[in-house]
Amino acid sequence: MEPPARLALTDLAAAFAQIGLSSVGGAAGPLRHVIVKQRKWLDEATFAEIFGMCQALPGATGANMAVILGRRSGLIGSIVAVVALVTPSMLLAIAIAAFATHAAAHSTRFAAGETAVAAGAAGLFVANGTRLAVTLWRAVAEGDRTYRAIRSAVIVAGVVLVAGFRLWIPAAVVVLVVASILADRRTGKPS
Amino acid sequence: MNAQTLLSLVLRFGTLSFFAVGGGISILIPQIHHEVVQQYGWLDDRSFAELLAVSQAAPGPNFLLVPLIGWRVAGWPGACLTLAAFLLGPFVITSIAAHVLHNHDSPVLARFRRAFRPVTSGLWIASGLVIAFAIDRRPVELIASLGVFGLSLAFDLNPVWLLLGAGALGAIIG
Repeated sequence: MEPPARLALTDLAAAFAQIGLSSVGGAAGPLRHVIVKQRKWLDEATFAEIFGMCQALPGATGANMAVILGRRSGLIGSIVAVVALVTPSMLLAIAIAAFATHAAAHSTRFAAGETAVAAGAAGLFVANGTRLAVTLWRAVAEGDRTYRAIRSAVIVAGVVLVAGFRLWIPAAVVVLVVASILADRRTGKPS
Repeated sequence: MNAQTLLSLVLRFGTLSFFAVGGGISILIPQIHHEVVQQYGWLDDRSFAELLAVSQAAPGPNFLLVPLIGWRVAGWPGACLTLAAFLLGPFVITSIAAHVLHNHDSPVLARFRRAFRPVTSGLWIASGLVIAFAIDRRPVELIASLGVFGLSLAFDLNPVWLLLGAGALGAIIG
């Protein structure tokens, strides 16, 4: 790999502030747009690799990406990128929340609308999970029934353990990931 | 606001950050709800729903729910410390991983990522169900949940429009 060029702290700050403020419903789109298309700091393939790594590591994907790109300018670069990612959008979110609390206290209609947004977000999570489940189902070759069954079992187990039995989520995460890795290794099918 | 609450916030969200794997914060929302509403009693269901709504519909990463809770419970120090606690652990781990793994697509990570995808799928669905059970008290909220679910799945629309649509529906029927 080519040695990555140092990035100016002001460029890092501007780029990640922009990513933070344009992240609605997931940071993947804005990350790619700013880092690959606008700034050309990474090519498509490298971006995809690093993005995957950021998803696999603990923490928010966007913040992990900020840490890794910031590293090109050292520890201070990582700190600047993460702070730029979170600060403007946090100030905006707190301002909106303060307004929302005020408005909900004075208008029952606003309060009802607010709760409906949260209810809608719940529906959105279920839709995102279902869409991913369908993608995973389709990604497995038709003949490979065992692998498909194992993956489906992991999905169902996650729903039942957490939504049904209210298992402590960190425990559910560890149990399901270990089970999934073991099953994956046994069948060993790429997809 | 007392120091003990701040310390509890920092410890709880610092711990949770290590489990925000693969699917980001969405898979942790039921856990956060349980701790913040039931275990510590920092917020009621309505306040939690309000902050969840803002964190999902406002521009910014979804994990802004974390500093929003810190802010509501313990003001500006709460917002800053809770967010810092949530970011610190992953910051250290990611820095080390980027240093150690020069090949970003290492076979170990690739295998882990592949194995994590069905887990993420199941936990996203579970997350939505748990939140819906906690928040949906009236028909209008049930309609909002089911409507957004159906429209998102059928047309893959931009989530912001779906959420704003749900809000408008709630305010009209309200």
